[in-house]
Amino acid sequence: MTRRTPLLAAVLAILTVFSLNSSAQAVTYSAIAGTGSSWSYNIVRQWMSDVNSNGITVDYTPNGSTQGRKDFANYTNDFAISEIPYQGVDESGQVDKSDRPYAYLPIVAGGTAFTYQLKIGNTMVRNLRLSGETLTKIFTNQITNWNDPQIKKENGGRTFPDLAITPVVRADGSGTTAQFTAWMADQYQSLWKSYSGRTGLTSFYPKKGRMLGAAGSDQVMNQIAASTGNGTIGYIEYSYPLNKTAADGKPFPVVKVLNKGGYYVEPTEYNVAVALTKARIRTDLPQNDPLYLTQDLRGVYTFNDPRAYPISSYSYMIIPISGTDRTMTTAKRQALSDFLFYGLCSGQSKAGPYGYSPLPLNLVQAGFDQVKRLGKADPKVDLTNKDVKSCGNPTFDGKNPNKNVLAEKAPMPAACDKASAAPCGTDTGTNTPSTDDKNAPTTPGTTTAPGAGPAPVAGAVDPETGAVIAASTATAGQPVSAVATPLSSDRPGQLLPFAVVDAGLLVALVTAPGMYAAFLRRRKGVL
Amino acid sequence: MTILRTEVLPSSRPDVDQRPRKISRKPSGVDAVFAHSSRAVGATVLVITGGVGLFLALQAIPTLRDYGTSFFTEEQWSPDTNQIGIAGVLVGTVSVALVAMFFAFPLALASALYISEYAPAKLKPTLVSMIDLMAAVPSIVYGLWGFFLVMPHAGQVAVGIQKLLGWIPIFRVTTIDASGAVVTADPHAAVVDATRYVSSAFCAGIAVSMMVMPMACAVMRQVFSQTPPGEKEAALALGSTHWGMIRAVVLPFGRGGIIGGTMLGLGRALGETIAVVLIVSPAFDIKPRILEIGTATVSSLIAARFGEATAAQLSALLAAGLVLFLLTFVVNTLAALIVARSRSGAGADA
Repeated sequence: MTRRTPLLAAVLAILTVFSLNSSAQAVTYSAIAGTGSSWSYNIVRQWMSDVNSNGITVDYTPNGSTQGRKDFANYTNDFAISEIPYQGVDESGQVDKSDRPYAYLPIVAGGTAFTYQLKIGNTMVRNLRLSGETLTKIFTNQITNWNDPQIKKENGGRTFPDLAITPVVRADGSGTTAQFTAWMADQYQSLWKSYSGRTGLTSFYPKKGRMLGAAGSDQVMNQIAASTGNGTIGYIEYSYPLNKTAADGKPFPVVKVLNKGGYYVEPTEYNVAVALTKARIRTDLPQNDPLYLTQDLRGVYTFNDPRAYPISSYSYMIIPISGTDRTMTTAKRQALSDFLFYGLCSGQSKAGPYGYSPLPLNLVQAGFDQVKRLGKADPKVDLTNKDVKSCGNPTFDGKNPNKNVLAEKAPMPAACDKASAAPCGTDTGTNTPSTDDKNAPTTPGTTTAPGAGPAPVAGAVDPETGAVIAASTATAGQPVSAVATPLSSDRPGQLLPFAVVDAGLLVALVTAPGMYAAFLRRRKGVL
Repeated sequence: MTILRTEVLPSSRPDVDQRPRKISRKPSGVDAVFAHSSRAVGATVLVITGGVGLFLALQAIPTLRDYGTSFFTEEQWSPDTNQIGIAGVLVGTVSVALVAMFFAFPLALASALYISEYAPAKLKPTLVSMIDLMAAVPSIVYGLWGFFLVMPHAGQVAVGIQKLLGWIPIFRVTTIDASGAVVTADPHAAVVDATRYVSSAFCAGIAVSMMVMPMACAVMRQVFSQTPPGEKEAALALGSTHWGMIRAVVLPFGRGGIIGGTMLGLGRALGETIAVVLIVSPAFDIKPRILEIGTATVSSLIAARFGEATAAQLSALLAAGLVLFLLTFVVNTLAALIVARSRSGAGADA
């Protein structure tokens, strides 16, 4: 009996500690799983790792918006993320709806960017700029070569190499495709219609000609970044090229797209925030309407602010709001609501650096109200101490909820981004506003490509030699156009001998160790 | 001529029953329990396999009824326009599998021979477990390996192959010129059109070959190790060299295992999924040009389209699955037959 007493005491002590612990924590979480958009995956992944330290485990599979909506309707996930709402009957007449009660809430904003790999010699082009029409023609197989006169015209007369354009499109059902095709269908209807035979958006890109299909945003980025990717261009959320390192150690470039204000702009957090001030969010509907908070982006496409990035949009989370939802429990609702409070609140401050744009105050407030419906579904969910005002969101004014501070302080584009001006020499894909000022604090060690960079300003000093550059070498701000003349590296008749030598070397590589071993053994035998 | 006859002599004891004792082969007691339960377990294998086939067949009925033979001849997979067919997908499946076997067969045979005949006794267990480890590596890892490490180089090799052997139709690579016409890609161009040479059946086949190699190798190695030592020693005693002995004894003895292992590997190569999904750019036309971008296999088609499929599309996917099931079934049955009929396999019941 006495021997058992210490053991008993230890068990009791452990139990006490546990019970104290749980009472201190007050709420219990259980792991939640989501599927859907790969467009917003990069920021959601960051939020997931942030809340993990608070004991909230979130699992998310970026398998495409279409799949996410379908999973949600089939009760196989706890939440879905999608760029577009349920379509009812989708573009091909298939059912796309959910009988599982749901609510939409915007989680983050961002721009659908066009990233590309185009090399002149061995140097990547990093300051390509294109109009919406040219982009549409590229993705409808009307412009098929990088030396096309229309591309040349939009890049200040700079000729790109004679290289076929390979558009990389999504092979799976994707919200990125939906956002891109919605923009094309609205802005360049005849081009889009004659190519696809549709008038509206589609989640499945109709792949034709030289196009290359890839499953998921990651694979699109990988295909473009691959060493064989020279000449490819694809549509993808801005954060993917931003976080992908090219062979020269810099992030992948994105196309500067011409907006209605007459400037070529990159989808930085500022430009997206400015553009989305024209997004019409359906706040006019009652909160229980399924389309409450969904977006109408037609105003964004045509916004004439010189800073606006035309293909900007919000990404939405779909949450289950029914009190009788068969996969949800109190612990899951608690985890989901706390995850969302974090994402909508402090999580927004991370949006910019990751290549997204934070939500404005009114949408965060509306999102908070949607999350509170989880509490309505299950009164045991603890939703206290959640205040929008305490969020460290860079768009907040504090006084005026409809004001977007970020959009107001967004810098105007550089003069060289104007449609009529010669292109800026600064790199894209750096998440910093472009500038034609050489002393601007861009990424340190930025070396501009020969022929791609801005010509040295008169009186400037060469950063490597220190020599003063004569003013007569170029006019300020005018990039030197390099006309690429491709030369074959082969000489005729050279191929066969090399092939024979290669084959011989391969055989030698396999047999040489064996022959050496046999030689050693024989010598040993003789001695 | 004497006729031998067996006569049962009457027993000297008339009180004993003279009929022969009845021998029952029926197991009793614990034996019966064991016999019945193992029979039931054995039968589940048949039930499961049969069930899979039956399920696929039932699900495929609507598709086969709607599309008829065009399901096997159509070169598109576009549920939107109601044109669905697996002609190109079947060609893709077979070409990926054949490329895989082209690489896997010599590797498997050579490693099996080395392990069973040449490797020092100390090294043998390590090599065997290394091969087993290769079989245990998940398919997605081979997919990533194939995509990031192999594909860029395979693309360059493909350019070289087209340069030398482009006149053979399967090594031709086409591209689409500015006017939209399909023309042969120029491998001698200053800037080779590199995107036409990747994401092909050739690249996918290389990744798949690494997955089927260990399987084929294991079967071959086991058969080689069963070669009767007496015959091997006899060959050596007759003055044969080590290689001569292998040629005269081990290889003929193991022929069934070589063929069977290859066919089993082929069966797996036909169904390999996720590595193919990662590597290929989906294309549904009949494309016997293995070096050119774009192909699809039945299993990669199912994996890529299954999630977002509606009921009708799911039925079409399962019909494609049925075709794959039958194809693999035939290949594996052939493999089993060949192994069982050969000398080495007679006792092995492969």
